Amino acid sequence: MFNTVQEVRQALAAQQYIATDEIATVIFLATRLGKPILAEGPAGVGKTELSKAWAAVTGHQFVRLQCYEGLDESKALYEWEYAKQMLYTQLLRDKLSALLADAQSLTEAADRLAAEEDVFFSERFLLPRPLLQAINSDTPTVLLIDEIDRADAEFEAFLLEVLSDFQVSIPELGTIVARHRPTVFLTSNNTRELSEALKRRCLYLYIGYPDVQEELEIVRLKVPDLAPQLARQAVEAVQALRQLDLKKNPSVSETLDWAHALVALNATTLDQKTLETTLTVLLKYETDMARARRAFKLGGGSDNGRTHR
Amino acid sequence: MEERIARFIAALRGAGVRVSIAESQDAWQAIACTGVTQQRLFHDVLRATLVKDSAAFPTFDRLFALYFGANEPLIDPQADLTPDERQMLQQALNEVLQQLARDLQRLLDWLLNGRPLTQQDLQRLSQQAGLEANESISPYQARRAARRMQQLLGWDQLQAVLEQLWEQLAQQGMSPQAIQGLQEQVAHNQAALQQQLEQFAGQQTLEQRARMTRRPQATADLLQRPFSSLDSAAMSLLRDEVRRLANRLRSRAALRQKRGKQGRLDAKSTLRANLSYGGVPFEIRLKERRRKPKLVVILDVSTSMRPVAEFFLRLLYELQDQVQKMRSFAFIDHLEDVTPHLTTLRVDEAVQAVLTALPPGYYSTDLGRCLRQFEAEHLALIDSRTTFIVLGDARNNFNDPALETFRNIGHRSRRTIWMNPEYPAQWGTDDSDMLLYLPYCDEVHQVRNLEQLTIAIDHILL
Repeated sequence: MFNTVQEVRQALAAQQYIATDEIATVIFLATRLGKPILAEGPAGVGKTELSKAWAAVTGHQFVRLQCYEGLDESKALYEWEYAKQMLYTQLLRDKLSALLADAQSLTEAADRLAAEEDVFFSERFLLPRPLLQAINSDTPTVLLIDEIDRADAEFEAFLLEVLSDFQVSIPELGTIVARHRPTVFLTSNNTRELSEALKRRCLYLYIGYPDVQEELEIVRLKVPDLAPQLARQAVEAVQALRQLDLKKNPSVSETLDWAHALVALNATTLDQKTLETTLTVLLKYETDMARARRAFKLGGGSDNGRTHR
Repeated sequence: MEERIARFIAALRGAGVRVSIAESQDAWQAIACTGVTQQRLFHDVLRATLVKDSAAFPTFDRLFALYFGANEPLIDPQADLTPDERQMLQQALNEVLQQLARDLQRLLDWLLNGRPLTQQDLQRLSQQAGLEANESISPYQARRAARRMQQLLGWDQLQAVLEQLWEQLAQQGMSPQAIQGLQEQVAHNQAALQQQLEQFAGQQTLEQRARMTRRPQATADLLQRPFSSLDSAAMSLLRDEVRRLANRLRSRAALRQKRGKQGRLDAKSTLRANLSYGGVPFEIRLKERRRKPKLVVILDVSTSMRPVAEFFLRLLYELQDQVQKMRSFAFIDHLEDVTPHLTTLRVDEAVQAVLTALPPGYYSTDLGRCLRQFEAEHLALIDSRTTFIVLGDARNNFNDPALETFRNIGHRSRRTIWMNPEYPAQWGTDDSDMLLYLPYCDEVHQVRNLEQLTIAIDHILL
C-alpha cells in the first residue's frame, strides 16, 4: 500500500514510466477509494502503458479487454465452449445410454438426465473472457478496458453493472463475486462522448502531450543510446510539429520510434537530409508531410534553399 | 474549509459543469485521504473527482483560483521596525488620521497592521456596493462591484494619504531604508487586499448564478416555441439542451438496436457457423433486423432556414455514432459538400462552417437546380440502404422543381424524408412546391420547433 503520492510516482519511475504529479495523484486516489480510472487523451501518450506499468508495480496479473465496435457480452464476459460440450457428449454417449437404460418411463429418463445436467454446464466448459478472468482470479488483477469509446453505448451500459459491484451472474452457475477488487483502467481516445453514468463512477485523468522537459526525460529513459544533444533537438522538433495544424499529431510513441530510427541511422545532427528521410516515422499523412517540410524550411534556416517545388 | 469546498462545488454547478452528489462525495473521501495542505495536490484531487470532461478544465481552474487561489497573506509592516521607529509611525499616523474619513482610517489601519478583511467586513462592503441586491450579475458587473467596494474603502484617496504619511515620517527622522521597507510592504498589502476584494466579488457572482440556475428553467416551453421566434438567449439555452436530447435519442436507438438482434433465424449463416459441429445447430445466428442508417442530407441554409438547420446539425452531430455514414450538402442556389466540416471540426465550429459554407450575398433558393446538380455529381451515394433527407421549406422562387429528378433519387434510396418547418396549411401556397414533392416522399415531418425536430430525427434512426 502506498502512503503518499510521491511513493506512487517513484514506484512508477522504477518501472520506467515517468508520471506527472497528476497521474500519480489519480492512481494514489484510485488505490485508496477503490475506483476505476478513466484515462482520456490523444492517442499514443501512454494511457495503455500506464496500466501495464501499474501492473508491474503492484505485481498483479494484467488482464486486457480491447474494445471495438460490435463487442458484446459473450466476447467480454464469458462464453460456453460449445465444441467441447459437444465433444464430451459424443464421447460420453455410452455412459449416458447406460445411465438411462433401465429408466421405466420417459419422464424418469429426463429426470435422470436433468440430475446430471451440471456436468455439462460447469466451469469446465466455461470459456472465461477478460472481464470474468479479472473477477474470478485468485490473485489481484489490473484490468485494462482499452479504447472504451469504440464499443457501443449498449456495451457501456453493461459495463456499468460490472464496474459498480464487481459481480457477474451466470444463469447456469449462479453469481460469481470478485474475490479481489481489480484495479480498473479505462482508456478513451475521445472519439465519442461517454455516458455520464460511466464517468460518474470513475476518477478522471486527462493525459495530454508532455512538455519539452518531460518528453526529453522519456526519450532519455527509453532510448539511452541517443546523444543528449540530438535528443533535445529531436524533441524540440516534435514539439514544434505539434504546434502546426496537422491532421494527426505525432505521439510520444512516435517520438520514441523516431529516436530509435535516428540511432539506427547513426545520425549525429538533425540536418536537412536526416529530417527528410526520417520524417515518415513521425507523420502519416502526405498533407502533413508537405506542411512540415514547409514549416521546417521557413523556421529551420539550416538548409540552402527550397529544392522541392 | 469544508464550507468553502461545498460552495466551490455549488459554483462549479452554477458554471455549467455537471457534478453529481456521488462525485462530490468522492471528492470529500479523496480529500480525507490526502488532506488540504498541499495546494497542487488538492487541485489535482478535486479535479480528478469532480470534473470528467477535459473541456471543463479551464472553468475548473478559473474557479479554483477564485476559491482556493494563493491568497497572498498580508504582512505586518511593523514587525521589522525598532520600538523607536514604531513610536514614530504611530505618531505620524495619528496626525494624518485626524483629517480623514472613518472608512479611510480603517483601510490605513488594515494596511499598516497587516490584517486581512474579515468575512463580515466583506459582506458589509458588498451590500454597500449593491452586489447583493442585484439579481443577475455578469462577470463584468462583478468587476465593477469590486471597484465600487474599493471606492467605498477610500482607495482613491489612499495614495495621497500615504504620501503624506511618508513625508511625516521623514520629517520625524525615520531612516530612508526603514521608510522604503514600509512602503514596499504596504504596497504588497494593498495588492493583496485588492485581490481579496476581487475574489470575493467573483465568488458572489458565481453563487448568484448557481442560485439562478437551480431554479427550474422553462426549457420545456422553449422546446415547443417555433424556431423562427427564438431570440439569441433562448437559442443558447436550447443548444445546451441538444446534448441531453441527443442522449435520450441515443439510448432509444441503442435499445432498438439491441432488440433488433433478436430477429429471425438466419439459416444460411447458422449452417455455415455450425459446420464445425458436424452440422448440429449449436450456435444460432439471427438476422440483424436493424442496421444503423446511411444518410444523405440536403440542407437549405438560406436565412429563414438557418435556426432549423443549426439544430438539425447539432442533433445529428451528437448522434454520429448511431449513423453508419452521413454525407451532407448545403444549398441555396447551388449545392456545396459540407461533409468534411462535420467530420473534422468540433460541434460549434462545424455548425458554423456549414451554415456559412455558401458565401453571403444575394441568392434565390433553387432546389430544382440543386437536385439536378446532385443527380449529376453524387447520385452514386444513394443506394438501397440510404435514407435521403431534405430539410427545407420547398419555397422555390417559382423555379423548376425538377420533380422527375427528385422521384429518381427517391426510387434509388431506401426512404425519402422531408422536413419542413412550415405548417401543412402553408404548403403549396405562393412559391411553395411542397405539395408537388409530397407524393414522392416516404415521410414528411413538420419541424417547427425542437420537440418536433427531435421526433423527426428519431424517425431517421429507425
